Amino acid sequence: MGKREKIKVLVSVIGLDGHSIGAEVVCRILMDAGMEVVYLGIYQTPEMIVQAAIQEDVDVIGISSHASNYDQIVHLLGLLKKNNLEDISVICGGTIPQHQMEDLKKKGVSEVFLPQSTSESIVNYIVSRC
Amino acid sequence: MKRETDYGHPIKSVYTPKDIENLDYERDLGDPGSYPYTRGYYPDGYRSRVWTRRMTAGLGSSRQTNEVLKRYREMGQKGGMLVICDRTNAMPIDPDHPIGKREAGLLGWPGASLLEFEELMEDIPLTGQSITLLGSCTMSSIRLAYVVALAEKRGVNLHEVHGSVTEYPFCSTFGQTDAQPLDLNIKLWLDSSEYIVRNKIHMRSGILSQHFQESGGNNAQALAVEMAMLKDLCSLLVNERDLDFDDVAFLPYELVSVGSRFFEEIAKIRALRRMWARLAKETFKAKKTKSCQLLISVHTSGRTMTYQQPLNNIARCAIQTLAGAIAGCTAIDNACFDNAHAEPSPLAARMSLNTQHIVSDETGVTDVADPLAGSYFVEYLTNKVEEEAYKIWSKIEEQGGMIAAVQKGFIQEMMRESAQEKHKEVERGDRLIVGVNELVIPPEEDFQIPIQELKAGDSEGIARRMQEWKKTRNIPLVEVKMAKLYGDARKGDRYNLMPSIIEAVKAYATAGEILGVIRKARGLSYDPLGMIDCPFDFR
Repeated sequence: MGKREKIKVLVSVIGLDGHSIGAEVVCRILMDAGMEVVYLGIYQTPEMIVQAAIQEDVDVIGISSHASNYDQIVHLLGLLKKNNLEDISVICGGTIPQHQMEDLKKKGVSEVFLPQSTSESIVNYIVSRC
Repeated sequence: MKRETDYGHPIKSVYTPKDIENLDYERDLGDPGSYPYTRGYYPDGYRSRVWTRRMTAGLGSSRQTNEVLKRYREMGQKGGMLVICDRTNAMPIDPDHPIGKREAGLLGWPGASLLEFEELMEDIPLTGQSITLLGSCTMSSIRLAYVVALAEKRGVNLHEVHGSVTEYPFCSTFGQTDAQPLDLNIKLWLDSSEYIVRNKIHMRSGILSQHFQESGGNNAQALAVEMAMLKDLCSLLVNERDLDFDDVAFLPYELVSVGSRFFEEIAKIRALRRMWARLAKETFKAKKTKSCQLLISVHTSGRTMTYQQPLNNIARCAIQTLAGAIAGCTAIDNACFDNAHAEPSPLAARMSLNTQHIVSDETGVTDVADPLAGSYFVEYLTNKVEEEAYKIWSKIEEQGGMIAAVQKGFIQEMMRESAQEKHKEVERGDRLIVGVNELVIPPEEDFQIPIQELKAGDSEGIARRMQEWKKTRNIPLVEVKMAKLYGDARKGDRYNLMPSIIEAVKAYATAGEILGVIRKARGLSYDPLGMIDCPFDFR
């Protein structure tokens, strides 16, 4: 990481998914690791997430997913590409079955963290990407 | 490994009469069927009635969910059906909403109109089994209207229908999120509850600690939050809607989340019966014995179902089902072994129902009421979780009660801290979870379970059907009913909207339209997401 002192991560729940507690636990983990976290909360459309990512100039977008709404994540990836923001890594976490995980990675998600992933694995991965 | 209860109380290696020396049998326990009902409501336990063994359904279109319900009936689910709504319906927005098109039918049933309810219930009786629809508070009044309308259409006596289709106004705080403001949810919940009570309909309303606990709360907190909610909501019905407590007391039912800490889970449910009985009798001055008996159902815990080595979850589910059965409950529904991956596959659903039947029919648990009563450890834990819950409840009272505590973020912060602590406990190895931080195997060696999910395009299909069908309705009639609803919704919070919602539902107005119009009448945007305009003109 070269451009600034703190890694800046946007954390959001996407679409109509209302399961917020996982995202909130991850926010705390990232803040404890010294990162700057922008937490958008729930009911964020892909458009809103992209807009916030531009405004906040983040390094990484983390999407917490517990509602099988992978189409929304794919739509987000498309919007990032359209806005030439592919340098922002998108990572996902949550209850995502194996084949969806592989599919999301093929479509541009850089990493998927499954339930009970350790804090260390999430933090180390983000540091390695920045 | 930590030897503490899930709320952090140290556990000793052995318990003796000294640990419960203040326990007074008549005062604190009573025989099964006697106040304060710690030992349950029935003198002969499950011999008079075994708990309802049911499974959650809801995925894809209403017709697809109807097929699943019929399959569950073949699998032995006869006592009651349980359907959960999808994310569009939880808000509610209609499936043809721009954001709904990508999510309709995911995670549940897209019950946006009476048509969808008719399709859901095709060839399924409204009576003779409990009808339970879960989702969010906001949809409660509309779901109740579906039941009223379909009973009328089928010529079924509404008073013979039983179950629960309405839910408490705090679920949006605990991860079961709808998009409506708290004051609107409270108003709509009071409307539907008042309608049920005044019309003597045998429908319950879920005032549930399950969502709170599944989102990370511990056992003592869950009890405290449940009691605080019950007290506040019953008080509103008594004081603001002028209802008699003995009529109101029939309304609430509680869904307890039961995890794997076997003895603590049993203690929690025993304590809850006693706490409600005392609240009903001492605070609300209940006159009827039935008013002191809170209906309690069990949900075996989704949060304990691991992604890793999912077959291990079958063992967890069996332990939790046995705990729920021993504690005493009216109904159980299970989280399935595939819970951390997807919606229940037919295989997982059958396993869960079979687990319940193995527990009820093979273990002998239905022979004796409250079999663990008198255990030094279980009685100690029952007292302890109650004591801790009373402490937390009094903190909630200090905030001004449940509604004030939610508005101040007190409850949310308590839940967040507890969730973080649980995560840390697992990371530190203070709590062991097989397959997660103990006896871990490489993912490639894991058994691949079948995954139940929608096909690409299914959500769009549901959305397209709704868009086309909307045009075929009697539009002038819908407009008349909507104008009436709009007018009524401007008459203030005490004016009950149930009658005009029922009329709108019968005219096939959709959930998105009905809530949109109520929102508009209250000065809010028609669309909770601010993306579409109101299609009705009320000038």
